[in-house]
Amino acid sequence: MDSLISTFHLDGKLLIAQMVNFAIVFLVLYFFVFKPLFKVTGDRSLTIEKSLKEAKEIEARLEKTKAEQKEMIKQAKMDAAVVLEEANRQAEERKLELVAKAKEEIGDLINREKAKIQADKSEALREIRAEVAEMIKLSWEKIMHEKMDKTTDEKILSKVIKQME
Amino acid sequence: MAETHSTSTGIENNKSQSEASHDTSSSATGHEELVHEHTLFAEPIFELGPLTVTNSLLTSWIAVCIILVIGLAFRAQLRAVPKKLQNIVEMVMEKFLEIFDAVTGSRKQSIKLAPFVMSFFVLILINNWLGLIPGVGSIGQVVMHDGHKTFIPFLRGGTADLNTTLALASIAVVASHIFGVVAVGAWTYLNKFINIKAIAEIPKKFLKDPTIIIVNPIKAFVGLIEIIGEVAKVASLSFRLFGNIFAGEVLLASMAAIIAFAVPIPFMFLEIIVGLIQALIFAILVLIYVSISTTAEEH
Repeated sequence: MDSLISTFHLDGKLLIAQMVNFAIVFLVLYFFVFKPLFKVTGDRSLTIEKSLKEAKEIEARLEKTKAEQKEMIKQAKMDAAVVLEEANRQAEERKLELVAKAKEEIGDLINREKAKIQADKSEALREIRAEVAEMIKLSWEKIMHEKMDKTTDEKILSKVIKQME
Repeated sequence: MAETHSTSTGIENNKSQSEASHDTSSSATGHEELVHEHTLFAEPIFELGPLTVTNSLLTSWIAVCIILVIGLAFRAQLRAVPKKLQNIVEMVMEKFLEIFDAVTGSRKQSIKLAPFVMSFFVLILINNWLGLIPGVGSIGQVVMHDGHKTFIPFLRGGTADLNTTLALASIAVVASHIFGVVAVGAWTYLNKFINIKAIAEIPKKFLKDPTIIIVNPIKAFVGLIEIIGEVAKVASLSFRLFGNIFAGEVLLASMAAIIAFAVPIPFMFLEIIVGLIQALIFAILVLIYVSISTTAEEH
């Protein structure tokens, strides 16, 4: 042991000095390098993990939104088709209605005209008859130069008119 | 002035060599020749109070200063988004943690032990490489020693001194025991070495298993052998590192003495690798000792 100490000049003070050196190195590395480094890398891992998770969530949400959008468009198309159908149907109905109404109005008009014509016709006939009777009466008077009594007169007149019809 | 590069490792041996060369070289000039030797120990440079500052202690202080500066610089530029130095440190640490995981078996344990183990690695690595820088070991002063002019370098690789390696090895082994006591409790830990438990349970379990009367005394004896193992750990750690680094310096000096140009360069690269590997070996062995002592022994 003594030869070991003398050969290598082992010295307790030097040993302690070297231990102090190591202690300084350890403290420096622990407080300035490893502790903050592990904290930073640990925090970074957590952040990355969180970001990845969030990215996945966002992607899923996007996918869901896309699906919803598609569904909505499909629904809208279907609704539009229904509305269009309804509109078409209503237009058709309305058209039929209008046509029917027009027909009815035209019928009315025709009937009214017919009635009017009929009335005009009978009026004209009546006037003609009256005129004819007057003419016959006058002619009769002129022929007979005398007037018959009222009753006979009337009788003959209506007989004549009846024959004319 | 004649110069003799003697690269002997022993003082006595060196003396005879330098005297032999002295005869041939100084006989013509008549001057006292300069002894340029590689000693097994670090030479004292100056006194600082009660402490004799040796050239290797001086180099160790430089190493500590370098680590301090790099540490502070690292802390100052530490960001959540890494840049330059932080990137390199993170990359290196990741590789080290992978190696540590193989020993400890869990990343959590690796991270817990990393600062302690990496302190050894960094301090030893810087010390090893400082010893290789031109000027360390070759710039110095000439003093009279035993009637000879002896060259004493101002700086000497910190790990080329047994004081340094012994201090580091002692810290490692003592700390591994402290870690062990903290991790498994004093009583369990004590029983690893002085196995009172094994002796005490002989009467209890004797009826169930009679072989215990033979097995447990052996267990107790194995515990005692472990104590010798602890001393061996200190010796192997310190001498391995010291021997490798000191031999490297001697080798480089020898090569330079034989042919000064070009030839030492491959050896320089070799020594750079040796410096790295020795630092790594020391650190991994420390990690192994600590992780062995922190796990309760299983029977």
